[in-house]
Amino acid sequence: MSDSTYPLITKKLTMHFGGLAALEDIDLAVERGTTHAIIGPNGAGKSTFFNCLTGLLRPTSGRVLLEGQDITGLPPERISQRGVARSYQITNIFPGSTCLENIRVAVQSRQPTSSFLQHHRTDATTLEGAVGIIETIGLGGKEDVMASSLSHGEQRNLEIGIALATAPTLLCLDEPTAGMSASETRDVVELIRRIGASLTILIVEHDMQVVMSLAQRITVLDYGQVLAQGTPDEIQANPQVQEAYLKI
Amino acid sequence: MAGTRSAEKPGFWIAFLVVVAVLAVVPLWFPNSFWQRLLTEVLILGLLAMSSDLLIGYVGMVSFGHALFFGTGCYGAAYALTWTESPFALWLALLLGLAGAAVMGIFVAFYSTRLRDIYFSITTLVFAQIFWVIVFTWTDVTGGENGLVFSPPRLSFLGLFAAEFTTMSMHWFVLAVVALCYVFCRRVTQSPFGKVLQAIRENEPRTRAIGYNVERHKMGMVMLSALVAGLSGALYGIFNAYAAPDYFFFLQSGETVIYNVLGGIGTLAGPVLGAGVFVLLKELFSTYWSPEYYLIPVGLLFTIMVIYMPQGLLGFLRHKLNE
Ligand SMILES: Nc1ncnc2c1ncn2[C@@H]1O[C@H](COP(=O)(O)OP(=O)(O)O)[C@@H](O)[C@H]1O
Ligand SMILES: [Mg+2]
Repeated sequence: MSDSTYPLITKKLTMHFGGLAALEDIDLAVERGTTHAIIGPNGAGKSTFFNCLTGLLRPTSGRVLLEGQDITGLPPERISQRGVARSYQITNIFPGSTCLENIRVAVQSRQPTSSFLQHHRTDATTLEGAVGIIETIGLGGKEDVMASSLSHGEQRNLEIGIALATAPTLLCLDEPTAGMSASETRDVVELIRRIGASLTILIVEHDMQVVMSLAQRITVLDYGQVLAQGTPDEIQANPQVQEAYLKI
Repeated sequence: MAGTRSAEKPGFWIAFLVVVAVLAVVPLWFPNSFWQRLLTEVLILGLLAMSSDLLIGYVGMVSFGHALFFGTGCYGAAYALTWTESPFALWLALLLGLAGAAVMGIFVAFYSTRLRDIYFSITTLVFAQIFWVIVFTWTDVTGGENGLVFSPPRLSFLGLFAAEFTTMSMHWFVLAVVALCYVFCRRVTQSPFGKVLQAIRENEPRTRAIGYNVERHKMGMVMLSALVAGLSGALYGIFNAYAAPDYFFFLQSGETVIYNVLGGIGTLAGPVLGAGVFVLLKELFSTYWSPEYYLIPVGLLFTIMVIYMPQGLLGFLRHKLNE
C-alpha cells in the first residue's frame, strides 16, 4: 500500500475498555479523495475508532499512520494541526458563542500563534474565512445568532462547519445526519458531496440511503471487528452483511 | 460585512474617558483626604479584582489565592523601597513587585494545567496560606507580624521630573495605572488569544480538538493575571508605605472573589465597581458596628446578590440600560 494513495492507514488498531474489546485488529486504508463510510450496528466501535484516530483515546495497541507518519497516541491538538478534523455524534460546539465566533475561532486555529494585543475583529483574513464557511454550511445570515439558539439541524451543520474551518485534509464525520429531518438530511448530503470533491472523508452513518449515495467505499464493523469491506454494491450483495446489519 | 466590523463598539472610548475623567476630578470635591484615599484604595483593590476576573470570567478558573500575588507584589515593592531612594525608586518598586508576582505566577501556572475546578481553587488557597505563614514567621526578612514600613517613593518620570506624592497626585497616578491596565486587559480578552480562552471555558475538549494547545493558553492567562495582581499589590504597598502579612491572608483572596461576584464576572470593569461597593459597605458598617462583624452584612448582601442579581451590578445595570 502506498502512502500517497492512502493518506490514512490503520494497522491492527485495538482498543480495550477493561475486558471489552471495542476495537480488535482493525486494518483500514482510506483512499485519497474518496468518501469512505464506516457502518455497523450501535456499539460496533465506530465512534471509538474515530476517538482513536483523533487522539481522544490512546489505542491499546496497533498503529495509526497519517500520510505515512505514525500519529498513534498524539494529543488531539497535534493531530488536528496535521490536518485531521472531526465532527461528533453528539453535538459538540461552543454554545455560548455566536455562530460566527464558533467558526472564527476554528479558522483562527490555523494561524501560527494567537496574538494577544490585536482585536480579533480586525483580523480580516480569519473573519473572511469564517464568513465563507458559514455560507458553505448554509447558515448565512445567522452569524450573530447564539449557537445555543440554533435549531438542532443548524447546530449539526455548525458542528461540521467547525471541523471544516480547520482546513483539514481528512475529515471524519460521526453520524452527521443524526436527528435531522428528511429535508435537512438532503441538504447535509449535498454539503458533504460538495466538500468531498476536494477532501478525503471518513463518515459514520446509519442512514443507508445516505451511505450508498455518498460513499465510494464501505467498511462494516461488528463487535469491534471488520466484517466486510468493499464498494457499496459489494456490501449490499454481501450475505454476511445482510444477515448482521442490513437485515434485508 | 466582515471588513466593516471595527475593534470597539462606538461609544466605548467616550464612555471610558468620561468614567476616567469623573474618577480623576470628583475627589477634588471630597471633604477630606480620608475619602480621597478611600477612592484610591478602591481603584487598587479593583485592579486586584480585575486580575482575578481574567481567570474567573475569561477562563473559568476561580483562584482563592490571589492574595499570593497581591502580597508578593506588595513585598516586592517594599524591598525596593527599603533599599533605595533613587529617583527611579517608584519604578523599581513596581518592577520588583511584578517580578515577585511573576515567580509565583510560574508556580501557579504550572499547576493550573493539572488541576481543574475546585481543585485549582483549593490549591491556590493552600499555596497562598503557606506563604502567609512563611511571611508571618520569617521575621528577619519579612518583618513578621509587624510587616515592613518604609518611606514612600517620589513621583518621577525618567529622571525628568520628581516630586513628593500628594494625596491627589497619588490618586491620579493610581488611576492612570488602573485605566491603562483596564484597556490592556480588555484588549487581551478580545484578542485572538483571549478568544481561545473563552472557547476553552465553553468547551475545553473541542478547543483542543480544533488544534489549540490548551495548557499553553491557560498558563499564559494565569501569568497575566498574576502580573496584574502583583502590580496592584505593588501599588498598595507604595500607597500605604507599608507591607503587612495580612495581604497574603485568605481573607484578602476571598474578598477579591466577592468583588467579582458583586460587580459582575467577565466584565473587567464590574469587579472594580464591586470593590467600590464592598469597601464602602465595610467602611459604613465599621463606623456603626464593631469592625469584626462587617462580614455578616456583607455575607448577607452577597447571598442576596447571587440569588437575585447573578450577573453582578454591572451586568444588571447593562441589562436595565438595554431594555
Ligand atoms: N470511554 C469508554 N469507556 C468504556 N467503554 C466505552 C467507552 N467508549 C465506548 N465504549 C464502549 O465501546 C463499545 C463501542 O462503542 P462506540 O464506539 O460508541 O460504538 P458505535 O459508535 O459504533 O455505536 C460500546 O460497547 C461502548 O459501550
Ligand atoms: Mg457512535
